Amino acid sequence: MGLAFLVPLALLGAAAIIVPIVVHLTRRRKSKVLRFPSVRFIEKVPYRAESRRRIHHWFLLSLRALAILLIVAAFARPFVDRTAEATVAGTGPTERVVLLDHSWSMALGDRWSEAQQAARDAVSELGPLDRASVVVFARGADAIARSTSEPIRLRQAIDTARVSDEGTAYGPGLKLAQTILEESELPARELVVVSDFQAEGWTGEEGVTLPAGTDIRTVVVGEGGIDNAAVADVALNRARVEGRERVTPAARIVRTGGDEPREVEVVLSLDGQPVQTRTVTLPAEGADGVVFDPVTIGSDQTQGSVSMTTDELPQDDVLRFVLSPGRAEFVRLLVPPGAPDAAFYVERALRITEAGEFDVVASTGAVPTGDALDETDVLLLVDRPLGSAELDRVRGWVDAGGGLVVIAGERGGWGTGGETLFPGALGGIEDRDGRGERLASVEYEHPVFEVFRGPRQGDFSSARFYRARTYDVQASDSVAILARFDDGSPALVERRTGDGRVLVWASTLDATWTDLALQPVFLPFVHELARYASGATDAFEFFTAGQIVDVTDARAMESAGLGAIAEAISASEERIVLAPSGTSSELTDGESSHFLELSEAGFYEIRPPGRDDLRPVSVAVNVDRGESDLTPLDPEELVASLRSATDVAPAGDSERAAVLRRADQERRQSWWRWLLLGAFGILIIETVLSNRLSRRTGRSGHARTAN
Amino acid sequence: MDRTATSSARFLDPKVLTRIGNLELLARTVVDGFLNGVHKAPYLGLSMDFAQHRPYVPGDDIRHLDWRLFARTDRYYIKQYEAETNTDLVALVDVSDSMDWTSDDERPTKLDYARFLTASLLHLSRRQRDRVGCVTFDHDTIERIPASARGLDRSLMALERSEPRGPGNLRNAMYEVSAGLQKRGIVLLVSDLYEDVEDVVAAIRHLTSRKQDVMVFHLLDPGERELPAGDAVSFEDAETGEQVPVIPTKLRDGYAEVIDDHVEALRRAMVRERVDFVPVDTSTPLDHALFAYLSLRSRSTRRR
Repeated sequence: MGLAFLVPLALLGAAAIIVPIVVHLTRRRKSKVLRFPSVRFIEKVPYRAESRRRIHHWFLLSLRALAILLIVAAFARPFVDRTAEATVAGTGPTERVVLLDHSWSMALGDRWSEAQQAARDAVSELGPLDRASVVVFARGADAIARSTSEPIRLRQAIDTARVSDEGTAYGPGLKLAQTILEESELPARELVVVSDFQAEGWTGEEGVTLPAGTDIRTVVVGEGGIDNAAVADVALNRARVEGRERVTPAARIVRTGGDEPREVEVVLSLDGQPVQTRTVTLPAEGADGVVFDPVTIGSDQTQGSVSMTTDELPQDDVLRFVLSPGRAEFVRLLVPPGAPDAAFYVERALRITEAGEFDVVASTGAVPTGDALDETDVLLLVDRPLGSAELDRVRGWVDAGGGLVVIAGERGGWGTGGETLFPGALGGIEDRDGRGERLASVEYEHPVFEVFRGPRQGDFSSARFYRARTYDVQASDSVAILARFDDGSPALVERRTGDGRVLVWASTLDATWTDLALQPVFLPFVHELARYASGATDAFEFFTAGQIVDVTDARAMESAGLGAIAEAISASEERIVLAPSGTSSELTDGESSHFLELSEAGFYEIRPPGRDDLRPVSVAVNVDRGESDLTPLDPEELVASLRSATDVAPAGDSERAAVLRRADQERRQSWWRWLLLGAFGILIIETVLSNRLSRRTGRSGHARTAN
Repeated sequence: MDRTATSSARFLDPKVLTRIGNLELLARTVVDGFLNGVHKAPYLGLSMDFAQHRPYVPGDDIRHLDWRLFARTDRYYIKQYEAETNTDLVALVDVSDSMDWTSDDERPTKLDYARFLTASLLHLSRRQRDRVGCVTFDHDTIERIPASARGLDRSLMALERSEPRGPGNLRNAMYEVSAGLQKRGIVLLVSDLYEDVEDVVAAIRHLTSRKQDVMVFHLLDPGERELPAGDAVSFEDAETGEQVPVIPTKLRDGYAEVIDDHVEALRRAMVRERVDFVPVDTSTPLDHALFAYLSLRSRSTRRR
């Protein structure tokens, strides 16, 4: 150990100490110049400028010299070199990353305090040349202290860390640790993972490979399973009874661990008030379901929850949701005046729903105008031609988001100009010979057919088509053939245009050209066709903590039941978000603040600023249910996957390491700051003293230069 | 010039004189005031000769009554005199840079004071029918107005347009000036004499060798006799630009001693050279200098 300088050449600047002396002895005092007729007699007066050839104020001169020396020393960057000690101790400069799991399962028992203590221990083991980072991770990861050698900062970061409401995912935390370790210039690297090591957060496909030579250490907290029950899921089944919508909540309660059956109480609450209570008996390592009585939803944004008797892990004992009355899609059926029964099967199919999903109106009139058309979600033309004037109206309506379904039939078709709206051109009627044709190719990936995708989920092959219109499909990216007949001719074609979509069915949907209407798949097929054409999606009843919603994505917000928020934001209106913890933030259309980060479990409330009279939009957020599964992961499995195939410590560049060590020591000690501060203080004292001396000299009439 | 100012012109402070723009008016004002105040002095009429008699009228000064004629004719007659016109008076005015200085902004510079003094002397002399001329110089002759009966106006003009433009050299200038003095007369030298005494004497000898009655008016500003008190200051020589950093407070006594020695040395040297030497403080009125001049005229007249 000894005093060393990082920039010893700067010490040459100490020669500047002679500057104040030389300046004093050589410079002429800057004084007032007085014009005088002649200085010949002044020069004859005996006078010796002794004052400048003599140093009168040694103390002031010493202060100035000391200030210069301190400044020079500061630039030389002095430090106490402890390299030898560190080398002897075998603790070379190490970059250490402490990965601290703060998923909500860490709130169980003493897990979190144990984890914090383990993290503190990890950073307290730092050698004089080491640096450390603290990364908390759950579903995401955040470096709360990054590559610092200050133990106080590290401890403060650990002390202020809190358990989150998010589930465990090792990937993001390990990725961030990998980045920090790769960026480090220190020769040794170490990763310390402090977690309860839930198997749920590990997929084995994280794709994280730590730098070669990284030492990996794991600290397991809270070993051993517990008897934990959780509300795993809630289904909100809607039904329309006598014109009123009723919702039947059904919850699934899952229990992990335990030996004996356990009785728990399950409570349904709406707007904070318990409305129904059920008691279930949960077997060990088992599950049970609870079905509540139907409830009527009277108003939008009703906050509901299903909770159960709390246990050691209370976060998963409640599941929150937001309920709003369902909205029926308005389907307008237009049939030709001469064939009022052409839409019989379709209309019947649309009217048969459990929850009244469709509001159906059939007419033989023209395409409506104005508000009547705007209120329509789906316009279904059954064997009805579309005139040119109607075509223009419909085009604008579809571009604005409307759904148009054309059932060809004998009379179906459209006038000139239809090629910009429809996916092709309808041709003549083509009769199929013999037993007719079948649907041979169906795009089961498409939403219209997705419900029929699984086995025994619907059989289109049993339907026969005896007659159909030929269809010349446009070659376009926006056009897709969703189903074909046996001969390859199109049966169902879609074109997306603007915000809406157009679907053309080349046959009929009655019992004349096909027997599809008599098949079991008919009703769900018509429902899916109308639902897809309307663009309606199932509303999100709740989110999971850690999800982020882009409030400027209108379609995503609409599907999440937050369409009103998206509209307000797009209209540059601000919204205040009140988080479950009580903190508030603003939502705007700005780059940085248009994301709604749902990090806390509970109900988020979103309202216009300064408006308390309106019922806020609520967003229910629940903890990740997967976190309830405390099945442990073998830490060795994780460690093994993190080690690279070429896990050999790099050949040490001792010179580079030595330079790093010296720079790191100097940076940590930072004596130069104190030296500069001292120099600054000395210069202030010198200024005050010299000013006083100058004033005193001036008053006594003995003007002499100070030093 | 208003009446009040005229009547009190004898005691006009040099600060007041600086406000009179016209040099001729200034000279007349000063001389008239001066003569009004000294008309009873024995110097009156010294340079005048009898011209004629005229009958006495009440109000005439009875001292001018010709008693001998009264005895012969029993009538009162007043003697009238005519000025002499046989003396040349040339004023040599130093207009070097050192003359362009004053220690008080309200007070005239030495050069201005020299202008006032010279103009007044020339005017006074002209009233006594002398031929007057003027020479301005620094290290060389700048302008020369030969003595003549109409030389007053030209001399005043020369004085008015004289501007300091360089360092002075009395010896060289007097050498040149003396070459132009062919006729015996009176020479008035107005200068601050910032030269070594030996050089001043050598310069004066150029004039006295030409049989000139020389009168030296040594102009000094009070600020040149006594340095100001105060902190360190650099004195810049008005002629050479040389700067001398000093602390006036420390230098005052020594300087006053040196300048007094210089003036005393000049006075002694001038006595030895039989030259009238008149130290003039630019803060004082012109009377002292005018008296000194009339004294010289008296002596020179008697000598003639």
